[in-house]
Amino acid sequence: MEDIRNAILEFAEKSKKSKFYFSDMEKAVKKVIPDVKARMVKKAATSLINEEKLIYFSTGSTTMYGLKGKGQTEDH
Amino acid sequence: MAFEPNEPQEKIKYDEMRIYSDEELNNYTEEELKNFKTKHDTPMCDDLESGPWPSFVADAKREALHRRKLADDRILLSAETVEDTLGQLEDSFVDGETHWKHGGIVGVFGYGGGVIGRYSDLQEKYPAVAHFHTLRVNQPMSKFYNTDFLRTICDLWEYRGSGMMNMHGSTGDIILLGTTTEQLEPIFYQMTHEMQQDLGGSGSNLRSPSCCLGRARCEWSCIDTQDMCYELTHYYQDELHRPAFPYKFKFKFDGCPNGCVASIARSDMSFIGTWKDDIRIDQDAVQAYIAGDIAPNGGAHAGKDWGKFDIQKEVINLCPTACMWMEDGKLMIDNKECTRCMHCINTMPQALRPGADTGVSILFGAKAPILEGAQMAVLTVPFMKCEPPYENIKDLVEKVWDWWMEEGKNRERLGELIQRWGLPKFLEVIGLPPMPQMVTEPRSNPYIFWKAEEVPGGFKRNIEDYRVKHMR
Repeated sequence: MEDIRNAILEFAEKSKKSKFYFSDMEKAVKKVIPDVKARMVKKAATSLINEEKLIYFSTGSTTMYGLKGKGQTEDH
Repeated sequence: MAFEPNEPQEKIKYDEMRIYSDEELNNYTEEELKNFKTKHDTPMCDDLESGPWPSFVADAKREALHRRKLADDRILLSAETVEDTLGQLEDSFVDGETHWKHGGIVGVFGYGGGVIGRYSDLQEKYPAVAHFHTLRVNQPMSKFYNTDFLRTICDLWEYRGSGMMNMHGSTGDIILLGTTTEQLEPIFYQMTHEMQQDLGGSGSNLRSPSCCLGRARCEWSCIDTQDMCYELTHYYQDELHRPAFPYKFKFKFDGCPNGCVASIARSDMSFIGTWKDDIRIDQDAVQAYIAGDIAPNGGAHAGKDWGKFDIQKEVINLCPTACMWMEDGKLMIDNKECTRCMHCINTMPQALRPGADTGVSILFGAKAPILEGAQMAVLTVPFMKCEPPYENIKDLVEKVWDWWMEEGKNRERLGELIQRWGLPKFLEVIGLPPMPQMVTEPRSNPYIFWKAEEVPGGFKRNIEDYRVKHMR
């Protein structure tokens, strides 16, 4: 689990975009850990959300993830 | 079957949660309402009150007056939220565009759905609605509320929100319209900890599942829609609240093919109660309908004299598959041809009933966007038994989700993915053989292309010869 979390954080920090889809995050993790399952990526992302390292960004119809502190992360 | 909660339920202390007295709730007279002028001139909104139907503008004005007359310390948001909403709506009508910006990072802790950030782009003109977030509240099965619950949630929303709500959104949720970021967590706490009420789905989540009245109120329901909806809502809590899908996903449950929640048109995975034995016929009741002793259609359409009931004209000739006829004074049905249109059962409910061996048909891929691209679901599983704890249903759901999560593009609904890959691939994923009823347009879009190894004796062809006449 820790290696998945690290892969997510590394992707989020390096990503040019401040908000990204779950599938893009999953693909980035798969490059590091090829046999990882989507459900494990989701669990790792949820734990990072709960630790407030990642944030959800919702348009209402779609949800994206973002790194807290990068891009728009405060109520505007 | 009596309701059995999945977890122990505490008695909800509604009396302790109520906020307003009867005097506060009824704090204006009809005379005051007649003379009430809202903060902004809204002639185009006012015009909506002149139509034949009850108008949300009239309701909004009542609420605006009600909030004006409440004491300042009895509401936490501005008393002018409703008036500013109407003012901004008027500007939208004038300008021909919305003045709401939606989306953002607001939410409640740990949830990726249920809250939709909303902001005005005219914040200086309409400061009371500058931050105006929406909450979705997961409706109880079939929307069976009690009045204590409704009064309590109305009090909560008057106190911590705008006082305006929609009953209901498309997925069935109560939509609470307009509050500020700092009110989200207190509202969430009271709903979840004190009212045992969860938020609904939004974003790339499983949306709040919804069902018809089912066996609670309807003799035709072939499945216990409420139980199934309740079980799957609880079982898939993670999918409801923690978004990881390519886009939204909706379950809906219809107890019979009358389809009162229109699952066939509005859900990615539609469950419709059906039967696989024969329609049950009471021949004495058939004769009573013919003789005029029982009113057809359960007595509906009684406001006009339609003449004597004619079973040939009103039932047999209207059967879409022509599978009914009279023989020696008895109504006969060729059940294998029945397409479950429900017309005969609806017309003569005392004479005809759905069969007794019941289960669900499962259809996939519907969507109903407002602007374009509406799509009906495709019948994929003709019949599946449907008993608690629904393990066979859950297995199927998870096969579908695994494929969609693996192959779906961002913002691609399941129905679009099935179209992009073709039905044969989808059938392979869920492990079902194709059948003629899956073919929607035999000439132009047959859907099913056989492989040589699937046909006895196989076949050979030269693709280049084929392409001479069938260009890509």
